[in-house]
Amino acid sequence: MSNTQPAESQPAVSSGPSLDLYAVALALLAALLVRFNLIPPIKW
Amino acid sequence: MATAAIRSPKAASFGHRTIALIPGLLLLAAVGYAGKFIEQSINAYAKAHHTPFPDIEFVLWAIVIGLIIANTIGIPRIFAPGVATYEFWLKAGIVLLGSRFLLGDVLHLGGISLLLVAIALSLSLAFMHLLGRAFKLKPKLTSLLAIGSAICGVSAIIAAKPSIDADDEDASYAIAAILALGAISLFTFPLIGHALHLSDKAYGLWAGLAVDNTAEATAAGALYSDAAGKVAVLAKTTRNALIGFIVLAYAIYWSSRGQAQVIGNKAAFLWNKFPKFVLGFLLISLLATVGFFAKPQLASLANLSRWAFLLTFAGVGLRTNLRELGAQGWRPFAVGAIGEAFIALLTLGLVFGADHYLKL
Repeated sequence: MSNTQPAESQPAVSSGPSLDLYAVALALLAALLVRFNLIPPIKW
Repeated sequence: MATAAIRSPKAASFGHRTIALIPGLLLLAAVGYAGKFIEQSINAYAKAHHTPFPDIEFVLWAIVIGLIIANTIGIPRIFAPGVATYEFWLKAGIVLLGSRFLLGDVLHLGGISLLLVAIALSLSLAFMHLLGRAFKLKPKLTSLLAIGSAICGVSAIIAAKPSIDADDEDASYAIAAILALGAISLFTFPLIGHALHLSDKAYGLWAGLAVDNTAEATAAGALYSDAAGKVAVLAKTTRNALIGFIVLAYAIYWSSRGQAQVIGNKAAFLWNKFPKFVLGFLLISLLATVGFFAKPQLASLANLSRWAFLLTFAGVGLRTNLRELGAQGWRPFAVGAIGEAFIALLTLGLVFGADHYLKL
């Protein structure tokens, strides 16, 4: 299919250290929001 | 005002890139949620009709749905950027998972993992090089396969490729072999674990030590049980923490042979290759240990981690293109497969030993 491409050919999005830092920052921000009750309890 | 209408190219490109992520993110959410929905529906049906039915985790459904989509209709280009974020969600999920560990447990299990990783690593690297020679693979392709199967799958290969000046073709061969083997591990590890009646901790440790890619190791653990998934992530995170040291060792080896650039500042190199999410995981675990979070808040963080993993597992299925993997030639795959079988057996033996002597 011409409009498809294997997703494994785009590792750059997920490999850089800066992306690691963004993931850590997002997780820590979420933890703080939960800690100070700024978002409702998260259900599963 | 004229100035208000002018946007910098950087801001515009950031906006465009963010918007480009939306379709793929929605696809990840839809596939992951479909997996969760199927699990809940089957469980509700089995409960209502008093029918015994094995509890198949959403993890498996999400991966299978993703695999079917990717290998039948394919992933249209518009979805690709968003789907490729699945490892971002994996890392955010791992950091949040730190809330489910007391730091003492991390140090205990992490210490055992580190010991086992060190033993498994040295034996598996040596074995992979012997295999590469036996199958007459190019030395740098063998190095990439060894790094990928001994340490951390695709991330390790990507980290190592520029450091040892490997070809794009070698890297894509190694990545394809590691991805194919990771997909096989997903389905075989839980079956073997159940057949051997492994405890959650022993199985989780085994999956974390033996399955290559972090996403697949997390999924293989979660497919066994929630507790096994936790331990698998911890063991895999310990393995990931060593990525810089191994890549540095290979870079020094290849530069000493004049086939890669000399590494100047080794400390900076190590920091650059160190997976920062490991530090985030330890920080959240420390905060949970000192009582920074109340009990309901810990439950919320654990659930947030599950949601992040839901997107990850959908991405694992969606990015696995079986036709592409099959087209990579049999030799790298054979070396990877034999090496993986060796590593799986070796780590299984180590886990049995650790369970017996070190009390997991």
